[in-house]
Amino acid sequence: MPGVGPKTAQRLALHILKRPEAEVKALAQALIEAKQQVGQCSICYHLSAEPVCEICRAPNRDSETICVVADSRDVIALEKTREYRGKYHVLGGLISPIDGMGPDQLYIQPLIRRVSQQKIKEVILAISPSIEGETTTLYVGHLLKPFTRVTRIAFGLPMGGDLEYADEVTLARALEGRRDLD
Amino acid sequence: MYLKALHLRQFRNYQDQFLEFSAPKTILVGDNAQGKSNLLEAVELLSTLRSHRTSRDRDLILAGESIGQVTARLERDTGAVDLAVTLRSNGRRTVSLNSESLRRQFDFLGILNVVQFSSLDLDLVRGAPERRRHWMDALLVQLEPVYAYILQQYNQVLRQRNALLKAIRKAEGRGDGEIGRWGDRENEGDDFSQALDREANPLATLDQLAFWDAQLALTGSRVIRRRARVLQRLAPLAEHWHQEISGQTEVLQVSYAPNVGLAQDDPQQLQTEILVRIQQKRVAEQYQGTTLVGPHRDEVEFAINRSFARQYGSQGQQRTLVLALKLAELKLIEEVIGEPPLLLLDDVLAELDLHRQNQLLNAVQDRFQTLITTTHLGSFDAQWLNSSQILQVQAGQLMPPVR
Repeated sequence: MPGVGPKTAQRLALHILKRPEAEVKALAQALIEAKQQVGQCSICYHLSAEPVCEICRAPNRDSETICVVADSRDVIALEKTREYRGKYHVLGGLISPIDGMGPDQLYIQPLIRRVSQQKIKEVILAISPSIEGETTTLYVGHLLKPFTRVTRIAFGLPMGGDLEYADEVTLARALEGRRDLD
Repeated sequence: MYLKALHLRQFRNYQDQFLEFSAPKTILVGDNAQGKSNLLEAVELLSTLRSHRTSRDRDLILAGESIGQVTARLERDTGAVDLAVTLRSNGRRTVSLNSESLRRQFDFLGILNVVQFSSLDLDLVRGAPERRRHWMDALLVQLEPVYAYILQQYNQVLRQRNALLKAIRKAEGRGDGEIGRWGDRENEGDDFSQALDREANPLATLDQLAFWDAQLALTGSRVIRRRARVLQRLAPLAEHWHQEISGQTEVLQVSYAPNVGLAQDDPQQLQTEILVRIQQKRVAEQYQGTTLVGPHRDEVEFAINRSFARQYGSQGQQRTLVLALKLAELKLIEEVIGEPPLLLLDDVLAELDLHRQNQLLNAVQDRFQTLITTTHLGSFDAQWLNSSQILQVQAGQLMPPVR
């Protein structure tokens, strides 16, 4: 399992063996139910137990802004900020020919359809600045630009980070993405 | 900078060996396969986080152990620094600086600077172009640690782009267009995509290629500019040394021969130039399924008295040339860093005649700390032996020399 080394795995296994049977059954049941019920939202492709996810259904969210992310994990991370009130679109990965991931393996086409058919004011690309992320950002941005305003999130210094401790690459990026003082 | 002490634990054939450097020159003498080069390799690892002998950490750890460690104390003008690299046979290595573990390994680069000169380097002039690119890149990382990141980015783009070109070739070969299913025809007017349209619809893939082209141009231009700059600075130094060593009889010319280059240094134009060249090679690239344009095909050219050293240089000339390059590296690093780097001479001194040994000695003096490995002291000039710390290496252990 990702993020779990052999020692932690052993500890988890022993812990489960020590718990009462009912509790273990409940856990097993929960895992099975999660697997059976959680699918993808038919609009944004975020994880969802319903055909359309909670975020897409929410009436009080701004439906004219879409934030594009690579993975459902990114939606969860952005939601924790409670700063974003728009909708999402999960691509389901990044363009990576080495792994056989091309645009067709991602939910890019449904995104274009969403943007071209609905009234969308802005699409925010929130994709990691790796080589694959950059290429995906360029690709998706290029396809969306005819329809709406396309922005990307800024990259730079972490909060609480000291300028002098930032590495050269991060600093260069922060400098690149500078903006006018308002 | 001065390497004060080195401690190897379960590293290569060393169980637990502490070594204090007591003189500017340390000579490690011993038979083959006793661990002389392993010790130099440990210093190389601290400097570059790489070994020129292996890319697997497992190989660096004492057989049968799961963890190995190299620690060192380095004195720099700014103060003493404790360096440590911990290697694991199953898992990632960790590096620490003054007992504080570093999250980004790039931060470890550029603290200990070394120039390596081994008998393998005698091949630098005649060997494949790849050797010269490696040499140039290793020097760049020492001078500008961020280059390690720049090069890694370029190589990643290259791998991805090659994978894509192979996928395109495969799809064309089959002609079933399985990889392309995307209706938005941005490039209707493009001759080439229309030509491919006959087959099926690999527009998505070809469309995608344009973005990898852009990435290749962006990251590639960064590599090219830094390489051009470093050779521009190194060339006069190397040319000076070659003239010195050859007794003013030979004129060396070092030049960067980039696969894509420009007379003037303009990042935007360079990117455009790369894209133009990619266009020209488009058909060939898709036919071969690999990237044919970019700094991974760069070359460094050496000419002695206006003829190419690679084809025409004699053994002696090539030795003079490599020695001149190494001396130039020492000087350049000293100039840029502001402190003299270490010199690692692995099994190479005996390959130089007394004249060249003396040239090297005069250039190095006591300013550059030097670690030397050799199988026997016989071929050394007496000057080298005086004032050197001499250690015998035997089966992974250091001991005073047998007289």
